Amino acid sequence: MTGRTIALTLAVVLVLTVTSCPRLGGKEDRSLLKVQEVGVLQVGLDASYPPFEEIDETTGEIRGFDVDLARELARRLDVEVEIVNSGWDGLYDALEANRFDAAISGLVYDPWQTDRVAYSISYFNVGQVLVVREDRQTIAQVSDLQGRTLGVELGSEGDVQGHVLSKRLRDLTLRSYSTPAEVLSAVSQGEVDAGLVDAISARQFIRAGGKVRIVGEPVSDELYVVAVRLEDKALLQAINAALVEMRDDGTLVRLADKWL
Amino acid sequence: MVTARRVKVGIQVLVIVLIMAFGVRPPQPLATLGPQQHVETINPKMGVHTRLTDEVEEWKIKRTLEMVREMGAAWIVEYFPWAYYERDKGAYDWSHPDLVVDHARRQGLTVVARLGYVPEWARPEGSTFSHLDPAHYADFGDFVYAFVDHFRGRVQYIIIWNEPNLGLEWGFQPVNPAEYTALLRIAYARAKEADPQVQVLAGALAPTLAPVGHPEGMNDLDYLQGMYDAGAADYFDVLAAHAYGWKFPVDDPPAADKVNFRRVELLREIMVRNGDGHKPVMITEGGWNDHPRWTKGVRPYQRITYTIGAYELAARDWDWCLAVIPYAFRFPWPARSYQDYFTFVTPEFKPKPIYREVQSYARGERGVEG
Repeated sequence: MTGRTIALTLAVVLVLTVTSCPRLGGKEDRSLLKVQEVGVLQVGLDASYPPFEEIDETTGEIRGFDVDLARELARRLDVEVEIVNSGWDGLYDALEANRFDAAISGLVYDPWQTDRVAYSISYFNVGQVLVVREDRQTIAQVSDLQGRTLGVELGSEGDVQGHVLSKRLRDLTLRSYSTPAEVLSAVSQGEVDAGLVDAISARQFIRAGGKVRIVGEPVSDELYVVAVRLEDKALLQAINAALVEMRDDGTLVRLADKWL
Repeated sequence: MVTARRVKVGIQVLVIVLIMAFGVRPPQPLATLGPQQHVETINPKMGVHTRLTDEVEEWKIKRTLEMVREMGAAWIVEYFPWAYYERDKGAYDWSHPDLVVDHARRQGLTVVARLGYVPEWARPEGSTFSHLDPAHYADFGDFVYAFVDHFRGRVQYIIIWNEPNLGLEWGFQPVNPAEYTALLRIAYARAKEADPQVQVLAGALAPTLAPVGHPEGMNDLDYLQGMYDAGAADYFDVLAAHAYGWKFPVDDPPAADKVNFRRVELLREIMVRNGDGHKPVMITEGGWNDHPRWTKGVRPYQRITYTIGAYELAARDWDWCLAVIPYAFRFPWPARSYQDYFTFVTPEFKPKPIYREVQSYARGERGVEG
């Protein structure tokens, strides 16, 4: 390695270090410090999306998967949590306007928004999943659908993915239903060999005693993420670290099992 | 020798660079008008609102309109902003609208042109795009004349303004049906002066329950009656209506205190009461939205069946309705909001299931319910 190459490599490393470190490279990022100094993580959400966030009619409190997630994140950052109920359409605007520190509201990762907010790693995938009757052993993945009948919700992402599969797999017949619940009922009653529905509907149906099970990997990804302001890199890093911990110690699975 | 070799090497490098620059360049989409096409549909009242105003690339304009035709829609509403084409008073640039109109016609589509959007030179500094003082109504009239004259024989329907019963669309001034009628009178006269055959559409009112005096707008039914009271009947040929279904099914009965698709029947009743029953109505915006979390959204299957039901209703029962043109076919880029869930096709031209189902209906392959 020549001296010039070494110098160039060092320069690149230095630039990457400076730009990725919240405390170097210009203005100090105080996003995490600010939360810790105040002792409160303010989380924005629109409490109209059960079971992720909804208002408990008895107590008037906001509850749900995202609320528990926000509490757990705050606990791991060693601060309290404050939930800020905000309209869905204005969530990103409210985040940018400093109404809260993070938005956790069943937000799907959206590449078109990455010029205005920064996203965490995903904490739940609500993409389309393949569902079969509980006692059915012959279908374990989408490639087993050849020659089968697949139920989908008309107009949904499952419908889109079903049509993609029907072009790839021989003799796959699609049958449309009005709602995911109808698809799942059709699967459980043997009306169709399998169904393609979103993960939330599938888990809720199973939780309610529906005789179906999810098989294989999700057919599509729809990733729920935490959003923070673009410049709040330190806070994002802390949230990501906490989410990784929660993934590794089983907390995310427990939350999903509690609410879905 | 050394010099000759260098020249030879230099020429070889130059040739390689030229090949890299031009020969290896990926082929660019070539958009031509192509052969004359015709819309094949069982329901000639089917249309869809396009959004080509900000679509720069010609091949995307053409592809959009091809897909509209292939879906079975015969009508489009397209927005032609005054400010885009008359940046300086009297200096017109029709290059972009020519592209849109010519490609649409080549696909066999009928263009309904929505006119509005005030240029900066015609409004006070700091005002919004929809602010037009009466002192500049004549300037708008000049634009209408120029547009109709330029597109004579190519565009036969023009809509004067958009949702003037909303403060947002009336320069955040108090809305006023008499003022809109004054604008309409001038626009109508100039349009007919340019082409007596052109059909002038008025109204395009936003369906709203806002009471008289509300800062954000006026109830569309009250506003339409206000237009008639101001003498608007003499200044339009067709009433443009916006028919959004929100959460209600297509056949939900109309009521003055409810915004649903059939609210347009109440507008029609006002026309009849004012002696205008001989004029047709055209639905130039409307439809349903299937955003999973928007408060006025419906399930995807509902959006599909209601939309097809709306086309069918107009064809079967509404002989006074010229066309149903829901909003909107495709955006050039995502709106990043619930608005994206009004579309039939993604910005990348990926058809949504509603596109496939509407196409199937237009081909007679499916009924309203599937």
